[in-house]
Amino acid sequence: MPAVRIIATLCALVVLAGSGAAISAPAQEIVFTSNQFTPVEEQEWARNTLLARFTQETGIGVRFITEAEGPYVDRLLAESRAGRGSIDVTGTLHGIFPVFLANNTLRDMAEVQRSLEARRDRTFFKDFLSAAKMEGTTAFVPWMQATYLIAARKEALRYFPAGRNPMAMTYDDLLQWGANIREATGQRRVGFPVGPRGLYGRFLHGYIYPSFTGSQVKRFKSPEAVEMWRYLRRLWGVSHPSSFVYEFMSEPLLLGEVWVAWDHVARIIPALRQRPDDFIVLPSPAGPRGRSFISVVVGLSIPRAAPNAELGARLIEYLTRPATQVMTLQGVGFFPVSPEAGGTVPSGGLRVMAEGVSAQSGARDARTALLPVGLGARTGEFVPLYVDTFTRIAVRGEDIQRVLNEQSRKLEELYRATNAPCSPPDPAARPCVPD
Amino acid sequence: MAVAEAELEAIRPPVRVNWTPYLLVLPTLFFLGLFFIYPMTQAIWLGITDPQSGAFTWAHFQRMSADLYFRDAIRFTLIITALAVPLQVLLGLAVALLVNSRFRGHSAFLYLTALPIGISDLAAGLIWLSIFTERGYLNAALQGLGFIQNPLIFLTYENRDWLLTAIVLTEVWRATAIVMVILLAGLQLIPRDYVETAGVFGAGRWQTLRHVILPLLRPSLQTALIIRTILAFQLFGTVVTLAGRQIPVLAGEAYFWYSIYRSPNVASAYAVLILLFSGTITWLYLRLLRIKEEEIKA
Repeated sequence: MPAVRIIATLCALVVLAGSGAAISAPAQEIVFTSNQFTPVEEQEWARNTLLARFTQETGIGVRFITEAEGPYVDRLLAESRAGRGSIDVTGTLHGIFPVFLANNTLRDMAEVQRSLEARRDRTFFKDFLSAAKMEGTTAFVPWMQATYLIAARKEALRYFPAGRNPMAMTYDDLLQWGANIREATGQRRVGFPVGPRGLYGRFLHGYIYPSFTGSQVKRFKSPEAVEMWRYLRRLWGVSHPSSFVYEFMSEPLLLGEVWVAWDHVARIIPALRQRPDDFIVLPSPAGPRGRSFISVVVGLSIPRAAPNAELGARLIEYLTRPATQVMTLQGVGFFPVSPEAGGTVPSGGLRVMAEGVSAQSGARDARTALLPVGLGARTGEFVPLYVDTFTRIAVRGEDIQRVLNEQSRKLEELYRATNAPCSPPDPAARPCVPD
Repeated sequence: MAVAEAELEAIRPPVRVNWTPYLLVLPTLFFLGLFFIYPMTQAIWLGITDPQSGAFTWAHFQRMSADLYFRDAIRFTLIITALAVPLQVLLGLAVALLVNSRFRGHSAFLYLTALPIGISDLAAGLIWLSIFTERGYLNAALQGLGFIQNPLIFLTYENRDWLLTAIVLTEVWRATAIVMVILLAGLQLIPRDYVETAGVFGAGRWQTLRHVILPLLRPSLQTALIIRTILAFQLFGTVVTLAGRQIPVLAGEAYFWYSIYRSPNVASAYAVLILLFSGTITWLYLRLLRIKEEEIKA
């Protein structure tokens, strides 16, 4: 008899708990997928801060699903092919949208864009609005941006070449800086994230290649490129040899192993947050053909198969609000896409970062490079081509022109097979093949 | 006599097949088939078929072997296995013999040496990274004791031998305990009489070890070697943490082809290669260390 009573009590408790949960759950729920915010801390922040406030304000619950690019794209495409979907809003890098457009997966966001502008409390940077126009439709609403910069210890500045301006440095200045540090301390203190999951490949194709040759792909094996690789060999001579295990530069910076580091803003922010007074953020260097940098745009869109498109549009409105954009900057280090949000950055590590970012985008010789688009299923092969070239030339010491010829053949094969167009600063040409 | 034997044959009842053992094994076979054989076949299928047309193709294996890191991956995987496994077996045997002598405090000692088994290879890599990195514990200790002025850079692409040493050291630290536990179990199965008898016959410690203990330990040695070698072929987390892609290994390349290059087909080709290596080495071990029938009967 006692056993029966215990079981009955347990069942009643379970039913109560279940109904309690059902009552407290938000009445409506939408699904938001992304391939951003995958690290655990960023996911926590997204669910507990960013989206929780949206739920508080509107009573609409948000189920946030974030995963690596492969599964993320597969999920959305599978839903669109099935004709019935559960995803209401999706946010991803602008380079992925052509894949979705090719499969007719997304709605035209022009309507949503117009309704946002009608509110008169936000505008978007022109570059991002034009990047959003793909193949005659508005593929996405700009959500946030990121870039890659140089972060340096303030004490290292005294080794900067005399008479030169750190906020407008050239690649020669960087090399000289590293050489000065090496001469004075005997250590190599320039660092790059050359680890397997580090973003060094972006430095190669989006920063130094266009700064020396004016192009990412077309002048891959030009004489200017040969000059650039000779420079990189010398730069490697003053860079920290353990760069091959670095994936997030904030750690070596904090440890003091590296004094001058190049990396993605989100991977430098932890160091700036911990010790904002010790570091300074500098725009990327300039080469003979300008100061090239990559602007990574992340955009929001609503799939065609979305069950709750209007609720999704409300989420987009909330996420692109200037106040939310500042909150995003403070939370995960992704920058606003609206000028209105720029002026309200509080001081501390983020202010240091924001100053570097605006100095970079506002530089007179600035050239924006965009990530390669249109490579579809073979997107993952683009960056390793450049990193392998680096390994062969700078680490294994092979003949520069021979390596460039062999690698450019692979690059050409990749672009011809996918018939992909060039990305700025290359001239628009399809397929994009090295000259 | 022949007539009696013939009658015996006729009287003996026909042998009935006992189905019970087979029925008991059936669930395990079903489980193995569903979660092991089927995915393995699918993985091998991925490696030999074209993703679009489904036709049989060697293209993925060709791509794998034409890759920049392929030859180095095979070379370094074999080198690391060849260096780490013998060290671990010797060290594991030594520790197992020590623990088996039941000195005072041997159970606490056993517990301490077995502790690293619970650490994943990625965690072990991170621990030793914090020791070997320029601002790590090793340099701090050396500088504090006054042996060096400036920190030494151990993890450098310019010296692959040092990278290999760091990896082998970490592996020996982490996985020797597995070998030790298996050998200890085998040692405890050897009756004490044998060792005492050998002592009575005037055999020294070393001779007892060589002629009495080691031959009786052969089944455990075989098990330990097979397990340790197969796991060494799958080594990945430690290598990536300590050496990035400067020391390519087969399991690491499989991972990178899946996650960075996003080609599950070439990743499967690497997996098939690892399977072939592991299978060959296991077969070699089984042949070289097989228990000959005569030894048991004697």
